[in-house]
Amino acid sequence: MTSKETGRDMLEMKGISKSFFGVRVLDKVDLTVGHGEVHALLGENGAGKSTLMNILGGVYTRDAGQVIFLGKPLENTTVRLAENAGIAFVHQELNLFNDLRVYENIFLRKEIVHSFGVLAKKEMIARTQELMAQLGVDIPATAMVSELETSKKQMLEIAKALYAKAELFILDEPTTSLNTAEIEMLFDLIRRLREHGKSFIFISHKLQEVFEIADRYTVLRNGQMVQTGDIAQVTATDIARMMVGQQYTDQSVYQPRELGEVVLKAEKLSGQGFRQVSFSVRRGEIVGFTGLKGAGISEMFSTIFGALPIYGGKLTLFGEEITSNTVRGAMRRRLAMIPSNRKENSVIPDFSLLENFYISEHRLSENEPIINKNTELKRYGTHRDALSIKANTPYDMITSLSGGNQQKVILARWLNTRSDILLLDNPTQGIDVGSKAEIYSLIQQLALEGKTILVNTLEIPEIMKVADRCVVFFHGRVHTILDREQITEERVMIAATNAAQTEVNA
Amino acid sequence: MSTITTQDKPKQSITKVLGNYSFILIFFAILLVYLIINAGATTWSGVMNILRHSTVVGIIAFGMGLTIITGGIDLSVGSMLSLIGGISVVVFNATNSPILTLLFALTGGFVLGSINGLLIGKVKMPPFIVTLATMMIYRSIAQYYLRAVERKSIYNMDGTLSAYQGFYDFGQSKLFDLIPTVGIILILVTVVMVFLSTSTKYGRTIYAVGSNERAAMLAGISVEWVRVSVYVLTGVLCGLAAFIWLAMNGSVDPATLGRSNEMYAIAAVVIGGVSMSGGKGNLLGILFGAMSYNIIDKIIAAMRFDALINDTIKGAILLVAVLIQIMIPVLRGKFRKKEA
Repeated sequence: MTSKETGRDMLEMKGISKSFFGVRVLDKVDLTVGHGEVHALLGENGAGKSTLMNILGGVYTRDAGQVIFLGKPLENTTVRLAENAGIAFVHQELNLFNDLRVYENIFLRKEIVHSFGVLAKKEMIARTQELMAQLGVDIPATAMVSELETSKKQMLEIAKALYAKAELFILDEPTTSLNTAEIEMLFDLIRRLREHGKSFIFISHKLQEVFEIADRYTVLRNGQMVQTGDIAQVTATDIARMMVGQQYTDQSVYQPRELGEVVLKAEKLSGQGFRQVSFSVRRGEIVGFTGLKGAGISEMFSTIFGALPIYGGKLTLFGEEITSNTVRGAMRRRLAMIPSNRKENSVIPDFSLLENFYISEHRLSENEPIINKNTELKRYGTHRDALSIKANTPYDMITSLSGGNQQKVILARWLNTRSDILLLDNPTQGIDVGSKAEIYSLIQQLALEGKTILVNTLEIPEIMKVADRCVVFFHGRVHTILDREQITEERVMIAATNAAQTEVNA
Repeated sequence: MSTITTQDKPKQSITKVLGNYSFILIFFAILLVYLIINAGATTWSGVMNILRHSTVVGIIAFGMGLTIITGGIDLSVGSMLSLIGGISVVVFNATNSPILTLLFALTGGFVLGSINGLLIGKVKMPPFIVTLATMMIYRSIAQYYLRAVERKSIYNMDGTLSAYQGFYDFGQSKLFDLIPTVGIILILVTVVMVFLSTSTKYGRTIYAVGSNERAAMLAGISVEWVRVSVYVLTGVLCGLAAFIWLAMNGSVDPATLGRSNEMYAIAAVVIGGVSMSGGKGNLLGILFGAMSYNIIDKIIAAMRFDALINDTIKGAILLVAVLIQIMIPVLRGKFRKKEA
C-alpha cells in the first residue's frame, strides 16, 4: 500500500538543519509524509532521527528549514503548539500518569465539569468507553494506568492523542518492550487509523516490522538524508546498507597477539533480558559485543559481573563453574566491569578523583582496614600516568573532569584491582572523539599485557578497530559470531537487525 | 559533548573554608552571645559545663550523622536511650556492677540497632517509617516494663549498693580537676568517629552509599550491610550515651528521657554541616553542632525565659544555621562570577 493521493502531503519538512554546541547533527534534511501513510524513519544510533522528531514535536527549535503541516507553516514550534496543530509524539518513555485512571489521563486538563467545578466523571467515563470501542481497543475506562501492560499504555497514548484531534503520530521505537501478540495488536490499530487518513512516523530498528507496517521510508545517516522512497521497492539488505553507508575504518590500532587458554565461557546462559547465550573468550582476547538497544548485552555483562542473577545455563570463569554470582565473588576472581551510563553507575559524585579511584580496590583489601594515603597516592600516580588522566590534583572532585577523563578514572579504578577480565559496557558513551581513540588504544595495549577484554558498543567502527571477534546479539540471543576478517559494518548491521531473516520471511 | 573541564586550581578561598567549617563559626557566635548575656559563665568550669551537658546528645548525634550520610535517618535514638537506660538501671541494681551495666547497655544498643538496621538494610523498608515505629515501640516498652514489672514511676539506681557511689562520682568527676570525664568521653568518641569516617576503608563506604548507591554497589560495596552497620553503630552509641546518662543522673524517667533527642541530634548534625541528602559532611561538625545547641539552652535559662519558648528559639536558630549553609555556596558563586 502506497500513500494515498490526496493532492498534498500532510507533512513537509524541508532543509532542516540543527547544531548542538557547534556540532551539526542535522544537515538540510527533508521528510515528507502523505495522508494515511506509515512512514518509517531509519538510521543508526546517532543518525539524527530523534533530533528531527524533537524538532517536529517542538522540543527543539530548528536552526534552518521549513515545516509545513496540513498546508500551514509551523513557526516557533513549542510542544503545546505542535500538539494543538495535530502532531502527537508517543515517546519511548510513556507520558502517562501511572497513578491516575485511564479516563483521567485522557481528560487531563480537558476535564468535563458540572457547576462548581465538580468533575463529570460519568460522562468522561462514557466518552472514554466510546473512544476505546471506536478504536477496537480493550482498555477499561476506569482501570489504573499502572495496572495496564506496556502495549495497552501505548495504545492509550495513541487514543489520548486521537481524542485531542491528532492527525500525525510519531512512534519512537514503539515495539521495544512488546511481545509478538502485542505488536500485532498495535499494528492492527495503526492500520485501522491509517484507513481513516491518519499518518504515522514509525521509528524502529527492527527491519522486519518496518517491512510489515510501513508504506514509505526515509534513511538518515550522520545527520543527512540518504534516501527516501516506497518500501515495496527495496529489500532489508538495501536498507541496512543505506544506514551504514560506504564507511571506512581509519587508524586501526589492531595488533595480532598470541591468545591463551579459555578464561570465560558461557553455555546456554540465560538471565534478565538474554537467553541461551553461548560463547567463550580466551586470555588476551578482545571480543566486541554489539546489538541494537535492548539486545541484552548490558544485562549479560551485569550478570557475568554478579550484579544480576543467573536464570539458567552455565558460566565458567578460569575453569571454575560459578554457582552463586555476586559482585564480590566476581571481583575476587579478578573480574571488572565498567558499566554503561557513567553518571548513574560509576561516578560517586561527592568523592574526589582519588576516592573514586581507590574505592573498589579497598573491597579486596579489607583485612587492612585503615587507608594508607601514601600508598593510595602512589598507586593513583602510576595509573594517572599510564592512562594520561588530565587533572590538577588527586583531591579534585571527579565531577570537575571531562567525560573522557572521568571514564579514565573509572578505568583506573578497575585496573587498580589488578583484574584480568574487563567487561566494558559502552565505554565511550558521552565522550569526545579524541578520548574515544585514546580509550581504544588503551584497550589494545591492555590486551597486549594479557588482559581479556569484552567490549559492548553500538559503534561498529570502534569494534573494527580493536576486536579479535565480534558477537552480534539480536533480541537477547547470539545471532552471529564474526571473526576479525569477517567484521564489516554491513554484516554486523544485517545481523543486528536480523535483516537476512526478514528477507527469508518476506 | 562533555568538554567542560574546569581547569582552575582548587583555591582554598576564605569562602570555601567558611563553607566547610561554618559550624565552628556558628559555635563561636552562639558562645559569644552566651558569654555576653551571662558574664558569670565566663569561667573555665562554665565553658566545661557546655561540653559536659553536650555529651549525651552529642554521642547520639554521631550515630544520627552516620545514618544521614547514608541517606537514611534514625528517629528512634531518644527511645533507645530511654529503654536502654531504664533496663540498665535494673541490671545495675541486680548486679551492683558498672562494668556489667556498661556491657549490657552496649549489647542492648547493638540489639535495638540491629532491629532497625536489618529492617532497613535487608528488608529494604524506608528508614523514616522503620525508626518512627521503633521510636514508639522502644519507649513504650520502657514505660510498660517500669509499671507492670518494676511497679515504680521512675527507674532509680539503688543508692545503698556498694558500687553506687563510685559509679555516680564517675559521672561528676573531672580529670585533673579540669575537664569533666564525660566530656572527655565525648571528645574520644569524636576522635574515633572522625578517624573512622575519614581514614578507614569502611568509613568511606558510608559516604559512597549516600552519594550514589548504585555506583557504590557496582564498585563492589555491599550496600545492604553498610546500611545495617550504621544503624547498629547508632544503637551502640545510644547504649554508651545511656550509660553516661546513668552515671550523671542516677535515674531514668522513661517518659521524658531522650524525648525530642532525635530532633536535637538531627539539628546538631545539620548545624554541623552534614547534608541531609546524604554523601557529604564532616563528622567533626557534629561535636560543634551539639555544643551549639546546648549553649542555646543555657542562653534561654540565663535570660530567664519561659522554658516553653525554648523550642521556638532552637527551631529558629536551626533555620538560620541552614540558611547560612545554603547561602555560602550561593555567595561563593556570585564572587566567582565577579572575578570572571
